[in-house]
Amino acid sequence: MGRSLYGLIAASIATVTLSLPAAAADTIKIGLVNEASGANAEAGTYTANGARLALDEINKAGGVLGKQVELRLEDNQSTNPGTVLAFSKLVSEGELAGIIGPIRSTQIQAASPTIAKAGIPTMIGGTDPSLTHVNNRWVFRCRPNDSFSSLVISDFGVNTLKLRKWAIVHSTDAFGSGGKDALVSALSKLGVTPVLVQGYTNNSQDFTPIVLAIKKSGADIIGTYMTNSPDVGIFAKQLRQLGISAQWVGSPSVVTDTAMKLAGTALSGVYGIADFTPGASAEAKSYAEKYKTRYKTDADVYSSWAYDAMHIMALAINNAKSTKPDDVRKAILDIRGYKGVEGTYAFDENGDGLRGYNVVKNEDGKIAFIKHIDFSEKK
Amino acid sequence: MEVLANNLQVLFQGLALGSIYALVALGFVLIIRATNVVNFAQGDFAMLGGYAMVLFLVGMPGNPELHLPGFEMHLPYWLAIVLAAGVMAIIGVAFNYGVYYPLRNRPFLPVLISTLGASIFLQNTILALFNPQPRPLDKLINIDGVTIGGVFLDSQYLVILVFTILAVAFQYFFFEHTLIGKKLQATSQDKDMARLLGIPVTWMIIITFVYSSVLGGMAGILVAPILFVSIGMGSTIALKAFAATIIGGFGDVAGAIVGGIIIGVIESFAAYYISVPYKDAYAFLALFLVLLFRPQGIFGEKVSEKA
Repeated sequence: MGRSLYGLIAASIATVTLSLPAAAADTIKIGLVNEASGANAEAGTYTANGARLALDEINKAGGVLGKQVELRLEDNQSTNPGTVLAFSKLVSEGELAGIIGPIRSTQIQAASPTIAKAGIPTMIGGTDPSLTHVNNRWVFRCRPNDSFSSLVISDFGVNTLKLRKWAIVHSTDAFGSGGKDALVSALSKLGVTPVLVQGYTNNSQDFTPIVLAIKKSGADIIGTYMTNSPDVGIFAKQLRQLGISAQWVGSPSVVTDTAMKLAGTALSGVYGIADFTPGASAEAKSYAEKYKTRYKTDADVYSSWAYDAMHIMALAINNAKSTKPDDVRKAILDIRGYKGVEGTYAFDENGDGLRGYNVVKNEDGKIAFIKHIDFSEKK
Repeated sequence: MEVLANNLQVLFQGLALGSIYALVALGFVLIIRATNVVNFAQGDFAMLGGYAMVLFLVGMPGNPELHLPGFEMHLPYWLAIVLAAGVMAIIGVAFNYGVYYPLRNRPFLPVLISTLGASIFLQNTILALFNPQPRPLDKLINIDGVTIGGVFLDSQYLVILVFTILAVAFQYFFFEHTLIGKKLQATSQDKDMARLLGIPVTWMIIITFVYSSVLGGMAGILVAPILFVSIGMGSTIALKAFAATIIGGFGDVAGAIVGGIIIGVIESFAAYYISVPYKDAYAFLALFLVLLFRPQGIFGEKVSEKA
């Protein structure tokens, strides 16, 4: 008796759940695989905020192909298995015109086969160069990849700051290792061999051994590929405490809002490269203002790329006049000169949309725009 | 000279982090002794301590999705610590009644799962109340630190070392030289016998939970200015602290302290001399070796299952 009652309840819940999507059939659905919980949930909030901001603008302007756009969020728990699950779940729900994937290279690497199998255009924010070079025609990158970030870091350090004794500190995850390899090779093209290359695992509690090794190496410039803000904060503080005054040019994580709040004065004077800088263009400036008004906190790179990704997806569907994956894919690749908040987009055959970075400097907790270095013409 | 300074620097970092492991491990051990259960939420006590400080020193951001308005609060540091300790004591009582007490007559496994559930619940509650961004916390002393002979001593790490010594001394005095401490010891050794002797066992267990919750909270408060306040801050510490309890001797108070410090120092030196990326592995390698060659731990007595 009891069991059949439960069965009945379960069956009715299933019916209700199954009948829900039908009611919302005349919208265009775009998925968002995002870090809503787990280790990187802080970044995930920014990403969802950025995507929602774009979503509301698109819908206010009449939507896409005359329909309203609906965002389907799926939490990936900040893990690789979670990402694969989230993609599978979104794809199995069907009817998605496109997906905005995560910003972590390692997660995209894990989900790449699922994306390829699903055959749905997917925007990514991960900057490991290989992600768009693994024969997966459904992946499009809305940020410049690390082959450009390392070119910009090395170019700025060697040619602008005129420093040649490099120490490289990197996370050992896919992003950090990929960045390290690219930076080593970019430096060697400029005739520089780093005096120290040192990895660490994410969420390290103590960077003293690394700092002491840097001290011993006598490096006058530090290049970093660090993934998480707390790691940046702890490293920065210990670096300054142990009296190292070398210049520091880092991947975008050193100039995020969170990292600067955590590290305080320890990050003063540090150069970072950023694909998103409020002062870099009119589009970026207006986006930063809109974000601040709506969310009462400053926008950073975790939000800006998702904002661009959402707009590009909408633009591509509008241009394609269809939500068929092949048509949308072609429309994305045809985009030339779209001015996003991250820069001017032109997708190449691999799906890379951007090829330049801004170099910025942390001046007492404020980000100052130094210069934009672009490699587009060398493509 | 520089070699010596570097080694002392590494030793100092190891001792300080080891002290934090020791404090959390102490909380583990007290609960193991009182209830025979490993409390998987022990690390989250540290996390809660950190967030209690954020609450009293900065405020709460609120959550529009839950219709929770945010507010600001800027209390003096000392008052914030006192209030945070009070909050941790209340959490200890609530933990006893919500997580342990209803299952006290069940085998240890349901209680263990219950603490695991509490851990997930606590982390997600904090995630909902405070957004997921990690936060900085001011140091107890308003100077960065001192440099002696080329060794930089972070003021917060010095505070941690001093607090650990005081906590250990207090604990020794409390358990060995006060009546209530002796009652607690009796309870942990044999609950039925203690009950026959008129010791209020239920109360003793409440006191244990309060004590280890406050201790865990203090560990979190102390370490937060260095590792920042974040949802996951307790998890990594708890894992090392758990290894420390096993290395020291499962359920042994002195063992927990020594075990914690051993892990901190091994980690620090191995990272400096061998390899940084495998830092976390050394703690567990030490655990592995102890389990192989001295399964009862450094201070543990070799006892077979109690009849």
